[in-house]
Amino acid sequence: MMREESAIPLVFKVIAGFALVVLLLPLVIVVLAGLNAGDYLTFPPQGLSLRWVKSFLSSPVFLSAYFYSFLLALCATLISTVVGTLAALYLARSSSKTSGAMRGFFMLPIVLPGVVLGLALYVFFTTTDIGLARTFPGLLICHVLVTCPFVIATVTASLVGFDISLEEAARSLGASPWTAFRKITLRIIAPGISAGCIFAFIVSFGQFETTLFLAVPNHEPLPMAMYISLRYKFEPTAAAAGIFAIALVVISTIVTSRLVSLRRVFKA
Amino acid sequence: MSDIRLVNLSKTYGEGNAVSEINLKIGEGEFFSLLGPSGCGKSTTLRMIAGFIKPSAGQILIGSDDVTALPPEKRDIGIVFQNYAIFPHMNVAENIAFGLKLRKRNKNEITWRVTEALKQVGLAGYGERYQRQLSGGEQQRVALARVLVTEPRILLLDEPLSALDKGLREEMKFWIKDLQKNLGITTVYVTHDQDEALTMSDRIGVMSKSKIVQIGTPQEIYERPKTLFVTSFIGHSNMLDVTILGQDANGVTVDLNGQELKTRASSSVTPGGAAKLVLRPENVLIGAALGDGDSRLSATVLSETYQGPIVRYRLKVGEQEIVAERQNQAHVERFSPGTVVTIGWDPEWSEALVA
Ligand SMILES: Nc1ncnc2c1ncn2[C@@H]1O[C@H](COP(=O)(O)OP(=O)(O)OP(=O)(O)O)[C@@H](O)[C@H]1O
Ligand SMILES: [Mg+2]
Repeated sequence: MMREESAIPLVFKVIAGFALVVLLLPLVIVVLAGLNAGDYLTFPPQGLSLRWVKSFLSSPVFLSAYFYSFLLALCATLISTVVGTLAALYLARSSSKTSGAMRGFFMLPIVLPGVVLGLALYVFFTTTDIGLARTFPGLLICHVLVTCPFVIATVTASLVGFDISLEEAARSLGASPWTAFRKITLRIIAPGISAGCIFAFIVSFGQFETTLFLAVPNHEPLPMAMYISLRYKFEPTAAAAGIFAIALVVISTIVTSRLVSLRRVFKA
Repeated sequence: MSDIRLVNLSKTYGEGNAVSEINLKIGEGEFFSLLGPSGCGKSTTLRMIAGFIKPSAGQILIGSDDVTALPPEKRDIGIVFQNYAIFPHMNVAENIAFGLKLRKRNKNEITWRVTEALKQVGLAGYGERYQRQLSGGEQQRVALARVLVTEPRILLLDEPLSALDKGLREEMKFWIKDLQKNLGITTVYVTHDQDEALTMSDRIGVMSKSKIVQIGTPQEIYERPKTLFVTSFIGHSNMLDVTILGQDANGVTVDLNGQELKTRASSSVTPGGAAKLVLRPENVLIGAALGDGDSRLSATVLSETYQGPIVRYRLKVGEQEIVAERQNQAHVERFSPGTVVTIGWDPEWSEALVA
């Protein structure tokens, strides 16, 4: 098929370009700061070196924080992808009058300030004394709450215009409900699910405010470790850690979108 | 191929009835249409047969099997939806192979059957295309091929032509009917379009407000509507206010503006009561066209509208208006407004119906 002639006005292109620069500039600064040759976190860097990258790679505190965050984000992403997809399907198909209110309720964690949510969960966990305060499961629950709305939103978007008669057609052609869901619905909403996946991972990996209240003592996730390091040392190791965080997010985004499009290629 | 029986089939939503107490037997190989205005319960009935809606009461039998409690995938039914529901992530060949794969047919057989099915619907060579590369009519054919390739016991169609433009609709009407006839597959066709129902069906069930109000062949439905609803829903009819004078074995006598007229009545009527004299415009004859034994009355031509193949007259009889449609052909007299003419009709083609 031929590409349509672009009809985007120049103004929009300029604005988009400007936004891109504003968004990308801090990233560039972090990367350059992480490659700083000097002793302190400064910009512009005093010469380039891998000094602080090496320091990050040999720091037990940063490395364990990095892998802890990775594990946490992975678990949170898996859970919220499944839960969020199911919730989105329910919300899209339920004819119940309460589903609008429920959608708003599920979206709350996005609009609530992280500090408020973190504090609320902390108070809830400690006062009820259910053994979740400052534990991994407690932190995971919090991250699932925060990331789920992103999955719900992207999957809901991909369900707009999804025609239920596709599933019904599959059923009457002999597919069980599960087969029809797997072979039809899931395939069609896959891009939405993978987008949700990426969002969830990024949001969980970078989650700071809520984590502040719920992190397990001596097991700080990366954002907290970076914060603590900067507060007490002001070393460029934190910026070097930032480089690795950015790299992980970029790689996971590419991998996830590849997985989806590869499946497309296999199907076609 | 199987027959279908609906026994006291009902569906209630909250307070309202979507379908109430439908009793119906659709014969093997029959093309049966459910015809009615929007919201009368046609789709609900069809979707209950397909298994997507659980009936509130009653039974559905296909052949000798009671399928009421079976899920859709166990009913061995083919259904074509109004929007065709072609799977967008599969090409045409994969769409058609879908049902065969679920039935675990071997690869060679699937390839062969898909090719045959595509030929059958006139889309040979379309296997590699995707839904977005097909026109509405082509999608329609793919949907039919996808269903027919699994050799279902019955075929269900829910307004399959309503998304097509007029020309294509005409073409597909005959094409679907021919296909159905050749396969001899029992078919239930839902439509609100009387032309489709009249042209395609062996029998029609006219629905109104959740009930089937009349079942009959297209001819019976068109020429012998049993209620005022069916009369007004199918085609155009004159409905004249009359008073019933009496009823005997030959029919009914009515009073129209003080003039006694004979007419048919399919149900018993009470003398003295008000009724409508129902009469299609094409059966109202004017002047020399009248034959022996026809009812005759005098009327004034109000207007004459030229419509190509027919000419339409509005006539005044007493205080009431009658519409007459005459073929516009050689040797047919034309009447200009203001003329006083004799009009009439064969009593067998008029009917007294009580509201
Ligand atoms: N899920 C539902 N909940 C409540 N009422 C419903 C539901 N589905 C259908 N109805 C009602 O049942 C009645 C019959 O609906 P149905 O879809 O069978 O009509 P239809 O004859 O197919 O009309 P159309 O020609 O517009 O498709 C309608 O009055 C509709 O409002
Ligand atoms: Mg309908």
